[in-house]
Amino acid sequence: MDERFSGFGAFILYTITAGMMIFILAPLLLVMAASVSDTYFVTFPPQGFTLKWYAKVLQDRDFLEAMRLSILLALGTTVGSLLFGVPAAFALVRGNFFGLAAIKGFLLSPLIFPALVTGLALLQILTKLGSQDARVNLLIGHIVVTSPYVIRTVVTSLQLVDENLEDAARTLGASRLLTFWRVTLPQIASGVAAGGLFAFMVSFDNYPVTMWLANSEYSPVPLVLMRQLVNVFDPSVPAMSTIIILMAMVGVLLLEKLVGLRRALAA
Amino acid sequence: MTTSDDAVAVLGVETPPVARQGSRWRLALPVGLLAVPMLAFLTYFFFYPAIRLLFSSILTQNSLGIIGRPFTLAHYARLIDVELYARVLWTTLRISAITSVLATVLAYPVALVMVKSRPIVTRSITLIVIAPLIVSVVVRGYGWQLVLQNGPKGMLNWILMTLHIVNEPLSILYTETAVVIGSLHVFFPMMVLPLASALGKIDPNLEDAARTLGAPWWKVFLRVTLPLSMPGFVAGFTLVFSLTAGSFVIPAILGGASAVMLGNLIEQQIFVVYDWPFGAAIAVVLVGLVLAVNGVSMWLLEGRRLRRAD
Repeated sequence: MDERFSGFGAFILYTITAGMMIFILAPLLLVMAASVSDTYFVTFPPQGFTLKWYAKVLQDRDFLEAMRLSILLALGTTVGSLLFGVPAAFALVRGNFFGLAAIKGFLLSPLIFPALVTGLALLQILTKLGSQDARVNLLIGHIVVTSPYVIRTVVTSLQLVDENLEDAARTLGASRLLTFWRVTLPQIASGVAAGGLFAFMVSFDNYPVTMWLANSEYSPVPLVLMRQLVNVFDPSVPAMSTIIILMAMVGVLLLEKLVGLRRALAA
Repeated sequence: MTTSDDAVAVLGVETPPVARQGSRWRLALPVGLLAVPMLAFLTYFFFYPAIRLLFSSILTQNSLGIIGRPFTLAHYARLIDVELYARVLWTTLRISAITSVLATVLAYPVALVMVKSRPIVTRSITLIVIAPLIVSVVVRGYGWQLVLQNGPKGMLNWILMTLHIVNEPLSILYTETAVVIGSLHVFFPMMVLPLASALGKIDPNLEDAARTLGAPWWKVFLRVTLPLSMPGFVAGFTLVFSLTAGSFVIPAILGGASAVMLGNLIEQQIFVVYDWPFGAAIAVVLVGLVLAVNGVSMWLLEGRRLRRAD
């Protein structure tokens, strides 16, 4: 319906939009270009072509350790936030009790609370409890910040479920559990998968909570990368960054396939 | 926010099953209980720690680092009285405000084009706007560090100098401007998405009607489109402002010493100075700021003080 815009107004709209697209992509493309630059310092314009920085990164023990930790942490966080979040979403959509709106607000409140403060508050309490294992602390912190995402996506997909199908199954003698497993779950599967994928990505990229709870022994990828930014000036930093960008792109495409990007992020 | 003790108590008093029709009422009792594990988890690891942090911001830390009584508001007074800290507060407010305003102005055209174009254009714009959202903030900050690099080898300076727009390289990196640019990049999607969703709900007939009645495009925009998209604008502005105010990574990478924000000050007080009560007080101020902005926005949205498109 491009005929809606015409004349000078259209020109301004399209110019700003195109400009913003360049603004969004430029730093990411530059990082990717710098990662194959055959120079010992990151410079512009990048020169030559080499994959040696990737070879260097893939032999960097700190980075590989961090990658392993981040992936395991993100997997644990995904499982944890699904276990807590899916039943909670169920209660929010199907429940009919006084204070439901307030409880929903409470469950989603970590979304508006500054994550930096969530992490700091958690550090204080975990220190008090004497919880020393950074892996456990990180897992707890990440579940706190990711579970609202799971609740939100699952609530959205549960609202679309046709309850008559469940009634039919129950009338035909299926138990509640069987009804959930065979009738409800298939209908919300894409929402649950999107919520889980979200939890994984938010956990993998999280900095503001992670910075408080990690230690020198257990540092996830974003922290290691932040340290490298300050200390290393060769193109291995862009190479690490490119690996992270490519992983994110895979996540985005999966999300788009599962539920459609707009729906996954809106609401 | 309710206290979740309330919440748990509330769960016991289910509404009578008569309220539901059909066979569904049998689910009514246990279904609310499914939220209990999540409530308990968040109460213990989110709500309670937050209250404790609030509490420790009014306690005193002695020379041994032990935190206890007497109660005091000295830490809050320090944030306002000491010029160095007050400046951080103002920097945070200024950067958040400028970023949100810029995001609004620039997101409007993008959201409009996104909503009203052919599907292929809509899809491409959506993908480009959203994709970076999932890329780590550290990586995006680093990208901007490369773009804005001071000296002739930075991308922006290289382009500007090659095109002879400037003769001397600009020094943007490690200034507030760099932090605003980085924050705009990181939080731009948070403005575009709510705006696009609000614009998408506007009945195209309304705009057509205005046009048919002879209004020029700018008048249609100012009198019909803009007022009806206010809910999206309020939601987006709130998100961008709150997220920018609470950021740490972008000011750390792009701001250096000249654009320290509240988040960086908190980190410094806890990890470098070990002053927990003062760190907690700054955190409480940050939370207060964010909650205030969210409160105003909720008041605007839920009180139906804005005309809605739907």
